[in-house]
Amino acid sequence: MSFRTALFSAFLSASLAVCLPAVVAKESAAQTQKNSPQNPASKPTSVVRVNVTSQAYDFLRPWSKRPPVQRRAVGAVLPDGRILTTGEQVANATYVELEKPDSGEKTPATVEVVDYECNLAIIKPAKAEFLDAFKPLALAEPSVGDDLAILQLENNGTVLNTRAVFTTAEVASYPQGDTSLLLYRATSSLQPRDSGFTSPVVKGGKLVGMLLSFDSRSQTADIIPAPVIRHFLKAASAKSGYVGFPRAGMYSTALRDPQLRRYAGLTNGTGGVYITEVRSGGPADKAGVRPGDVLLAIGGNAVDQDGNYVDPHYGKVSITHLLACERFDGEKVRFKLFRQGKELDCDVTLTHPDLSQLIIEPYTIDKAPRYYVLGGLVFQELSRQFLKEWGPEWVRKAPEKFLYYDCFQDELFKNDPRQRIVIMSNVLPSPCTVGYEELNCQVVTSINGVALKNLADIETALAKPVDGFHRIKVDGHPGELVLDAKEVTGIEAGLMRNYGLPSIKRL
Amino acid sequence: MRRYVWIFLALLVFELPARAISIIEVRKSLVHITTTAQEANYKIPWNPGSVGGGSGTGFIIGDNRILTNAHVVSNARFISVERENDPKRYIAKVQHIAHDCDLSVLTVDDPKFFEGTVALSFTNQIPQIESSVSVYGYPIGGDRLSVTTGVVSRIAFQQYSHTMGDSHLAIQTNAAINPGNSGGPVLQDGKVIGVAFQGFSGEVAQNVGYMIPVPVVQRFLKDIEDGHYDRYMDLSISTFSLLNPAQRRALGLKDDGTGVLVGKVFTGGACDGVLKAGDVILSIDGHPVQSDGFLELEGERVEMPEVVERKFKGDSVAFHILRDKQPLDVTAKFEQAWPYNIQINQYDVNPRYILFGGLLFQPICRDFFHANQIENLRVRYLYNFYVTEEFYKERPDVIVLSSILPDPVNTYLSGFRGGIVDEINGTKIKSLKDMAEAFAKPVDQYVIKMLGNGRPIVLERAGVEAARERIKARYNVRKEQNLSE
Repeated sequence: MSFRTALFSAFLSASLAVCLPAVVAKESAAQTQKNSPQNPASKPTSVVRVNVTSQAYDFLRPWSKRPPVQRRAVGAVLPDGRILTTGEQVANATYVELEKPDSGEKTPATVEVVDYECNLAIIKPAKAEFLDAFKPLALAEPSVGDDLAILQLENNGTVLNTRAVFTTAEVASYPQGDTSLLLYRATSSLQPRDSGFTSPVVKGGKLVGMLLSFDSRSQTADIIPAPVIRHFLKAASAKSGYVGFPRAGMYSTALRDPQLRRYAGLTNGTGGVYITEVRSGGPADKAGVRPGDVLLAIGGNAVDQDGNYVDPHYGKVSITHLLACERFDGEKVRFKLFRQGKELDCDVTLTHPDLSQLIIEPYTIDKAPRYYVLGGLVFQELSRQFLKEWGPEWVRKAPEKFLYYDCFQDELFKNDPRQRIVIMSNVLPSPCTVGYEELNCQVVTSINGVALKNLADIETALAKPVDGFHRIKVDGHPGELVLDAKEVTGIEAGLMRNYGLPSIKRL
Repeated sequence: MRRYVWIFLALLVFELPARAISIIEVRKSLVHITTTAQEANYKIPWNPGSVGGGSGTGFIIGDNRILTNAHVVSNARFISVERENDPKRYIAKVQHIAHDCDLSVLTVDDPKFFEGTVALSFTNQIPQIESSVSVYGYPIGGDRLSVTTGVVSRIAFQQYSHTMGDSHLAIQTNAAINPGNSGGPVLQDGKVIGVAFQGFSGEVAQNVGYMIPVPVVQRFLKDIEDGHYDRYMDLSISTFSLLNPAQRRALGLKDDGTGVLVGKVFTGGACDGVLKAGDVILSIDGHPVQSDGFLELEGERVEMPEVVERKFKGDSVAFHILRDKQPLDVTAKFEQAWPYNIQINQYDVNPRYILFGGLLFQPICRDFFHANQIENLRVRYLYNFYVTEEFYKERPDVIVLSSILPDPVNTYLSGFRGGIVDEINGTKIKSLKDMAEAFAKPVDQYVIKMLGNGRPIVLERAGVEAARERIKARYNVRKEQNLSE
């Protein structure tokens, strides 16, 4: 198992106090040769400890939070008195502080900008002078084959500098929101430290990336690369506020298969990708791109049959990098398409898709989940975070219908009027719920005849009981549940006392 | 919990008056059955499956017939039977097999086999809890007849593990029932009260064995009287206990502990068009239904489906229901057994498939799942929710591209493994037959659209034709398609 998975699950479930690696690196002799501790204290350093206490909500008991968890990381000091760290590090943070490596002096800090999709965050100390003695890191772009250094901190404040050889730059998936962006892969024999594997990566005194994960078995480091950091920092400095990485809103597949090429009408050439899906209302859709089109070029960059273009710095890289990282939200880019034997151009205005607008949110961080407890029936909105409550094996263990809804939401809810899927997650047994105790994980379609577009609609619905009853329609067996409206109100206080609910709802 | 079906051997007893019969007489009816079976091969469906064997017990029931469990003789290629005190082995044949209740009737062509045998007779009633029973058969532990005794521990509906999809009445006993006992008689006062058939492994529970009770056996014997087994009938509805006082009031019910709610009425089932979701079943064939789904039948408290257990094809069932608070009498007729059975174990069938351009297409079913260890979420979902979401309406066969025999014609298609076929050249594919017809059309290109947002599979006919013999020879394919079981 790669450490990314371990780190990520620990971070989500908040079940581990410190994100330490599961596997400890073995060869310490070889290690010491490669790792050359820098001369202590006197020299100005460019890294700082980022200590975060975080507390996530428990989506199975959405009225309560999980126990707080402490995580330490190493942040990179940027110009302008800011610190760069990962999004994971500050997720669900309740308290953030910075600590000087040499003196141990601490100061509270605030998260200025965070983007969980590119997994980066900017932190600012409460007192700007806290960073006076530090030497800020400028950003630089390394080349494949370069020697990089991963900066960790020893307990005594010494900077531990581990060599990493930059082997590959490729587009790969990031932890949150099914996001794909450029990653650097490097080979390194990194050792675990109490700061986990959240560390800056430098070359010749310049910042080239932030460590995303480290797999101790294959000794592979995944690094959030300079271009992604550059994009993030530039977007973060926008006066109009931060907007994330843009997308074209389409999926494509390789066009190597000669039978498919002939089917698409391509008689010559070898390039182009086959567009399989265009998100309805997305940038490509608005520009007139259709499934079945062949994408030949983007803004003058030829697209090869595997969906790569030639990047001046990294060579062959997926067009995802060109669209998402090399451009910004609102930028226009020209697509050269091939359709029914003819070439045509169209201009696509790239935009950042707001994933929180998806019917099933792919991640829910720093946000309290909505819920409503009606007479003991617990209503929530279906989210991937809810499914992740089934643990590291959630993709196998969570309710299959919900997994299916989540995985195929693009297909299933295209013309659905709902903004969220309201579910009855479980039942807190009460006098109102006799006979309903064993029901759980049901999709709720309407209450008292009012279709629920999201959980907030429940208030409107509950204001209109039918003949004194709340009639709850569920999708599937048993079809309908009924509660006595007066009885529900009557037991509310007792229910809250009995189950320790701070409130009957959060909408 | 895992419940094991045990394969086994039994002894025969003969038709005798209602008095305790001696072991000498029981021996005259017991039959030791040895089966050579061959399972279907769902991974390489043109190849025969592995050959295995097992042994079980049976007993003579008159008319020169032997009763045993279906699982003792399922997928049999060769069955031999032996009697006590006769060294000869006789060849037996399956006359009827009922997988849904795990029973089978065998015959032996050689009339000498039945000389001097005695047919066992059945009791007319369900035995009392705690009354003594004896189990006869040829379980593991030795070659000769074994008898174990115990009491009737429990009488309840149980899942029959042979198909994993059928539940009927079963009698639990603490008499040891072990592999080899399957199909053997369980006697009380000289009469058969059940047929030993399944139990728990010792790792799970101790002294928990099950027998198929006489009503289930009698139903099977009656069903085959016309020479054909029609299977069990089914209401094909889901019901929900009406225990919630508010729900009862809203439905217009008194607090009298009667009535169950109809949750779902499955399209194509016996109650389709007769019952509706939201109906309350108050009584079935005149038996009042209690709010937890039980009713009283012949003095026993049994689950509602027990009424249907005794029905045959062509029979009807009468409901007294409450619909929109109004009483109503409706009748459902059992025209056929439930037809959509992909989720249960199948036996004595040949896997269906089509091999085209090196692509192997198979309809999903339980055995296919076991053979292929499917992880694909879409396939898992369509399989697990095939009945509950009524996917069978749109797609009686859910056809998966299960594997690819690599060949130049399919070089770039490996990513499609595990996908579900939606359309071919614009025609929806609802069954394997539809697919065979689509592939038989003399078009230049076969454009196969899979479920979901992906690119189509394009196969050019010339290429497929050129590859046919090559693929057949290279992969030793004996037959390119099998459309019927």
